[in-house]
Amino acid sequence: MMETRSEGSTVDDHYTLITGASSGIGREIAKGLSGQRRLILNGRDEQRLDETRQACSSPERHLVWPQALDRVADTQRSFTELLARHQVRVSNYVHCAGTLKILPLRSIEIDHALEVLNTNFTSAFALMNVLVKKKVNDQKLKSVVFISSIASQFGAKGFSIYAASKGALDALMKSLAVELAPDVRVNSVLPGAIKTEMTKSIFAKPEVEERFRRDYPLGVGEPEDIVHIVEFLLSERARWITGQQLILDGGRTVNITA
Amino acid sequence: MNLEGRRYLVTGAASGIGRACAVLLSRLGGSVACMDKDAGGLAETAALLEGDRHHAGAFNLREIAEISAHLQTIANSFGKLHGFVHAAGIPGTMPLKVLTPEAWRETFLVNTESALALTKAFQNRNVYAGESGSVVFITSVMGIVGDKSNVAYAMSKGALISVTRSLALELASKKIRVNSVAPAFVRTPMYAKAEQVWTAEQKAMVESLHPLGIGEPEDIANAVAFLLADTARWITGSTLVVDGGYTAR
Repeated sequence: MMETRSEGSTVDDHYTLITGASSGIGREIAKGLSGQRRLILNGRDEQRLDETRQACSSPERHLVWPQALDRVADTQRSFTELLARHQVRVSNYVHCAGTLKILPLRSIEIDHALEVLNTNFTSAFALMNVLVKKKVNDQKLKSVVFISSIASQFGAKGFSIYAASKGALDALMKSLAVELAPDVRVNSVLPGAIKTEMTKSIFAKPEVEERFRRDYPLGVGEPEDIVHIVEFLLSERARWITGQQLILDGGRTVNITA
Repeated sequence: MNLEGRRYLVTGAASGIGRACAVLLSRLGGSVACMDKDAGGLAETAALLEGDRHHAGAFNLREIAEISAHLQTIANSFGKLHGFVHAAGIPGTMPLKVLTPEAWRETFLVNTESALALTKAFQNRNVYAGESGSVVFITSVMGIVGDKSNVAYAMSKGALISVTRSLALELASKKIRVNSVAPAFVRTPMYAKAEQVWTAEQKAMVESLHPLGIGEPEDIANAVAFLLADTARWITGSTLVVDGGYTAR
């Protein structure tokens, strides 16, 4: 039968890379995983990234990698250098980097659209490309989770380019799951609205609160909800799960009456 | 994934996925009421459980009108339930030209209708513990993608995935979450039986459909436990596909 060892084991030599760790869901996942894992924390703002590190268990165990992800070539170069400089390997990767501005189609500048695509999607492709290079990561990669969104599956006004970036991320996930099996598992988590430091004030507005109460049969999510599912997917308990989009939304997407 | 103080019913507990679920739930601290029509297999499962908080009783889910009274009896002696896992299921592998209404109704009865009857009985306040409610149906990737000569099974599992979505909405106000786990081919007695009639070529073909190979019952049990426990507190109406990459291709 299964062993429970995998759930609580400490990965010493191998790091877990978390992009988008300077705020929101990325920061919460970093805090949640920091007790059991050594992390590489990525974000564009060095100061906020260090705040995340300080909020983690054993801050000294983790590395910070300040780098904006919208320029793909820079991202690859800087990440390859980071692994070589610290002599570390990455066994798990959680892609949380994501930028969202709710804008109607007519107001989206093409440069903005490309920035969203690069940060949310192309950077995941670029980092996976580096992580499977034998010389760089020594075939250590085991399990990958992309933080997508229910917007990859359902329409919403003003979400066009964001939704497209998440849909692309999910398509990349499926192809990589098939291409990299059985060595690497790749899955997506599609969250609905989760209460974080970043979204707390928006969710507190009466009109938003009222809409969420109507739309979400189980209410809005807590950071620990996403931490649990990411932990599960990275662990050996999910050793036969790959190529899947796991919906985490308190029933939002089955609720057509919303 | 801590299930201490929680009580769960597991159907189809005499073998395969049901047995693996019962064993894992007991190891995670839960109390398990095991149900199956096969009393011998049920006794074997009971011997594998950790602790002595458990219950096992033979029951045939085809007795659909008796399900409600039977769950009440279990709740009275074992304690009110926090949830259940519906792992009981029968295959329906037959090409359409030989498939009979009797055969497809039988598959639908055991796989789907009994799940609905079990949920109806469970949500009653004399059976349900009233908090942390969680129901998990074992469905199948065949309920999501097509499969030749398997229409009865695929239909029964596809319908169960629909049951999952609607009941998730209906029971949210009672704090009962409803989800399903959809496996591809898993090494169970049902699989072993199917394997016997396959040629070596067919067997290799089936294996090749799974980028991570054929699954083990424990792989499914792990996903079920994740959904039952508070780790999935915010997940309802979902179908968690655990298939070694079968549907990603």
